[in-house]
Amino acid sequence: MKRFRPDRRRFLKLSAASLGSGLTLGICWSGLNAAATNATEDFQPNAWLSIDKQGLATLYVAESEMGQGVYTALPMLIAEELEADWRLIRVEHASLDPSYGFQGTGGSRSVRKAWKILREAGAIARHLLISAAAQQWGVERDTCFARMSRVIHRTSGRSLSYAELVERASQLPLPDSVALKQADEYTLIGNPLPRMDLAGKIDGSAVFGIDVRRPGQLYASIRQSPVFGGRVKSFNAQAVKELPGVVDCFALEEGVVVVARSTWQAFQAREALRIDWSEGTQPGLDNAQVLKQLSTALESSAGKTILQRGDPSTEPEPQGRRIERDYSLPFQAHMTPEPMNCTVQIEGQQVRIWAPTQSPTSARSSAIEALRSLGGDWALASDDALQQRIEINTTLLGGGFGRRILQDYVTQGVKIAARFKQPVQLVWPRDEDLQHDYYHPFTLHKMSGVLDEQGLPRVWRHRIAGLKADHYGADELPYDIPQVKVELNRLDTPVPIGPWRSVTHHYHAFAIEHFFDELARAGGQDPLQLRLKLLTQPRLRQVLEIAAESAGWDHPDKHRQLGCAVHSGFGSHVAEIVELRASDRQLRVAKVTCVVDCGQVINPDTLKAQMEGSIVFGLSAALKSPITLDRGRVTQSNFHDYPILRFHETPDIEVIIVPSTQDPGGAGEPGVPPLAPALANALLAAQGTAGGGLPVVW
Amino acid sequence: MTTTLNINGASISVDVDPQTPLLWVLRDTLGLTGSKYSCGIGMCGSCRVLLDQRVVSACRLRTADAAGHAILTIEGLSASAANHPLLQAWESLQVPQCGYCQSGQIITAYALLQVHPHPTDQQIDEAMSGVLCRCGSYPRIKAAIQQAVSSASRQEPVK
Repeated sequence: MKRFRPDRRRFLKLSAASLGSGLTLGICWSGLNAAATNATEDFQPNAWLSIDKQGLATLYVAESEMGQGVYTALPMLIAEELEADWRLIRVEHASLDPSYGFQGTGGSRSVRKAWKILREAGAIARHLLISAAAQQWGVERDTCFARMSRVIHRTSGRSLSYAELVERASQLPLPDSVALKQADEYTLIGNPLPRMDLAGKIDGSAVFGIDVRRPGQLYASIRQSPVFGGRVKSFNAQAVKELPGVVDCFALEEGVVVVARSTWQAFQAREALRIDWSEGTQPGLDNAQVLKQLSTALESSAGKTILQRGDPSTEPEPQGRRIERDYSLPFQAHMTPEPMNCTVQIEGQQVRIWAPTQSPTSARSSAIEALRSLGGDWALASDDALQQRIEINTTLLGGGFGRRILQDYVTQGVKIAARFKQPVQLVWPRDEDLQHDYYHPFTLHKMSGVLDEQGLPRVWRHRIAGLKADHYGADELPYDIPQVKVELNRLDTPVPIGPWRSVTHHYHAFAIEHFFDELARAGGQDPLQLRLKLLTQPRLRQVLEIAAESAGWDHPDKHRQLGCAVHSGFGSHVAEIVELRASDRQLRVAKVTCVVDCGQVINPDTLKAQMEGSIVFGLSAALKSPITLDRGRVTQSNFHDYPILRFHETPDIEVIIVPSTQDPGGAGEPGVPPLAPALANALLAAQGTAGGGLPVVW
Repeated sequence: MTTTLNINGASISVDVDPQTPLLWVLRDTLGLTGSKYSCGIGMCGSCRVLLDQRVVSACRLRTADAAGHAILTIEGLSASAANHPLLQAWESLQVPQCGYCQSGQIITAYALLQVHPHPTDQQIDEAMSGVLCRCGSYPRIKAAIQQAVSSASRQEPVK
């Protein structure tokens, strides 16, 4: 693979802050000076693209590809403004370089971060290519335009290909500003272009982290403490070292590592480990204790107010019928199909890492920390020096869902490989992966509301207690209710907690949207009509109206029960309607209708796939087994006791995309939060009760 | 100990413990990494290969038991049947997301169509329920199988 060579380029240095905030034209790009370009090189006006003398454009993607389609959507942004012929495009994963700011993929942010920057990157290149052609012809540049990797002279019809212009364009100074296209001028954005990463994913040649094979590679596995925070006291090193293929067996603080000649031999040796553990600070931790911790917090502390409307100290609370509900939502695991793994080769002072990571920047920080822990020269070197010595190769990711934002497997990979001259691939077996996740947290929600005589909600109270829980998704209430108070108790825990697809929005949206239905039904109102009446966010109202129409909400049918939910998050607005049908006297999820408004859509087919995937992911969480704790351990170990939705359980899914030219919102996560409450609401419609949280059971 | 295997039409001798699951011979010994490890207990289907036309989980099949049978992996299937309507449907309907489970999905769907060229919905459900997809590509897998069936029917000679 052709490597990106930062030292030979003249890149705009973007700070992480400027990447996140959006750039102002003519300021940030003006730091570039292309005049010094070596004429033998490709045309490389910035870090995001280069065009070679055959006219082939290489577009660099600095986000991790985990199925969400960034290898296609981000190049589309550049190519749109570059006026590139899509057939003359290739995509490369950007190396880890300060030009790209903090490299981390999460929060459904890829397109939002890139929206302005990548279009500007393409527009700058287009500007220079047009200038080069105008110069060559001796005409005014505004008599020329670019299309399909050519510059055309409007009046004479003459044209030059980008290949012919690369050399001259490389000599030109950067423009002070560039104009971006209007939405009605787009030729790529908004079209369902085929994904750039699919050929290898169909013929089996795609390389995920676990598929990395280096000459002389060794294979490692690990058994970490079953109890959170437990440490190795002693283990049967000698017996394990004598097993077939085993090269070494040693302890890290958190567990015991075996290194062997094949993955299977490492797994077998891991099974043969007999380890005596110290059991951490809370060896007895179980689900009942967690629930008690959360309920006690809600009884003893008001928590932090994260949303308030009306002032209870001056306005008396409206009188009426009070409705109260408690919801508990369990731990969830990521269950990425590719388990945690990392391949590391340390030769002298050079550290090469291949990792299926959502953040190569964080992976490098973890690697530095791991190297420092080794002592010696590693501990003495400066951060800058260590950064120079570390190469991170981001592979394809076999699922991410937030898990691979954490880099524990990289830390371990570096510590293990430091003992060997050969490259070492660490692979966690499935039970290791499931029992050492960073879990979606357990949360408890105490809801109460007051209905007036017309059955309209006048008071809304949402009290949250959650392990390392955060406020996003609960700090807004899209309904016109006069008295609102939302309070959050964020509690500490020894259980590792991390981001999981849609993060905090998942649990907050469940509590809000399910309780809304309970209030509506208690007040004798149709929950969808009441939403339309009270929704204050017009885009959210519109997606719900379209969903209602499409799902046939106003056409009652005794064989089916519908439930709806809406949620805004990650810059997007989604409504979902779940349809339950009875077959063989059993209710089943027959259909999910999803309407999404995420602003300007880049690739509608990918967006549709993300919504389908979000619904399947949401159904697994809502219907299947949660993660439970017992004696300080995670009870589940594999797909038999932590099942996910299977093919035959998948409902029909209809996705409707609302056309929009507003700035893009996220796509990977916003489809998840409405699913579980819509399902619980359908069950409420079917049987008048839906239990007290997740999983939804009937 | 040497075991001779017939993989993707080629006879290959490997020197491994015959108890080793075929998956690790494919991935670690032969570098055929298209078959994926995910559960190790035959529950997810990501490692599925064909053994004499029959779908098996390579993580549960001992190398000794694979000897003497024709083994087809995703690499063999895509090389020998690149124009198969199933692979074309997978491409045209843009089925994979992260892609990790897709070799197991494709192998399983291919085996289904070998036995049932015109499968019923129930036959599709039964065959495909054994392969998990965390990204949720199921609706597209179903559509791709149906498209492959109808395009194969169109290509059959008119009698």
